[in-house]
Amino acid sequence: MLISFHYTVHTSLDVVEEKISGVGKALADQRELYLGLLYPTEDYKVYGYMTNSKVKFVIVVDSSNTSLRDNEIRSMFRKLHNSFTDVMCNPFYNPGDPIQSKAFDSIVSTMMVQAF
Amino acid sequence: MSRQSNRATDSKKMNSELFTLTYGALVTQLCKDYENDEEVNKQLDKIKFTSHVVLHRFFQEGCAAGKITNKMGYNIGVRLIEDFLARSSVGRCHDFRETADVIAKVAFKMYLGITPSVTNWSPAGDEFSLILESNPLVDFVELPDNHSNLVYSSLLCGVLRGALEMVQMAVDVRFAQDTLRGDSVTEIRMKFIKRIEENLPAGDE
Repeated sequence: MLISFHYTVHTSLDVVEEKISGVGKALADQRELYLGLLYPTEDYKVYGYMTNSKVKFVIVVDSSNTSLRDNEIRSMFRKLHNSFTDVMCNPFYNPGDPIQSKAFDSIVSTMMVQAF
Repeated sequence: MSRQSNRATDSKKMNSELFTLTYGALVTQLCKDYENDEEVNKQLDKIKFTSHVVLHRFFQEGCAAGKITNKMGYNIGVRLIEDFLARSSVGRCHDFRETADVIAKVAFKMYLGITPSVTNWSPAGDEFSLILESNPLVDFVELPDNHSNLVYSSLLCGVLRGALEMVQMAVDVRFAQDTLRGDSVTEIRMKFIKRIEENLPAGDE
């Protein structure tokens, strides 16, 4: 079950690349961090967000959940981005390591519970 | 950048984040450099202080990085006291209670932007606690399991000890509670040891 999520997220990275490269040089400065719906599968909708430091956040939502609005997803990404920034500022965290921060985990869990 | 905790963007707050990150980098570097406690103990034994009677307790507990940041704090404290006395224009404190108030209300406010509360006075009036609701040094910090005994903010203990020594007070400063280790507040316990006589030569054992 977990493997299929990893696969979904992995393929979504290609879509992120497409979205980024499609914008063009002139608009590159104004590129929004929020990338919107990356692609829908039959079971899931996948949303993307990429920071200016090329860190990508991907949210996978059940297709049957139609009540989640775009601005709710945006605010989820904003919270993720803020929590991630706090994790980065932990001097004991080495960039690139899997995140083991309890604060980050609890924020993500709360967010997921609230959304569904 | 916007954060969960809504930091103000005035210049004082920006400096505080830089200080927090700098201190964090220092502590983690020390942890990496000094994984072996024995080696550090040997190095630290060579260092001489005037009130060494107070300091033996520090070297018996805590890991290497904690001891070193304490020593660094001490060096900061002996210098910072001059800056503090010049900027705050408080007169000589008449007793330890006055000292406690000045530390909490003036010194902490001036340098860290927080005002801890002074509580838990011992019956003899020679020991008290500073309760810090928040500690700017530990913003964003989470101790990993392999450093769960690290006294991260040991610098603060050193600063207080060094500063008070320069005004002829030997004190023992330790952390009684630490939010990094799961306590609800951070509590610094300060104990008055003795008044330092002026004719003791500085720097000799």
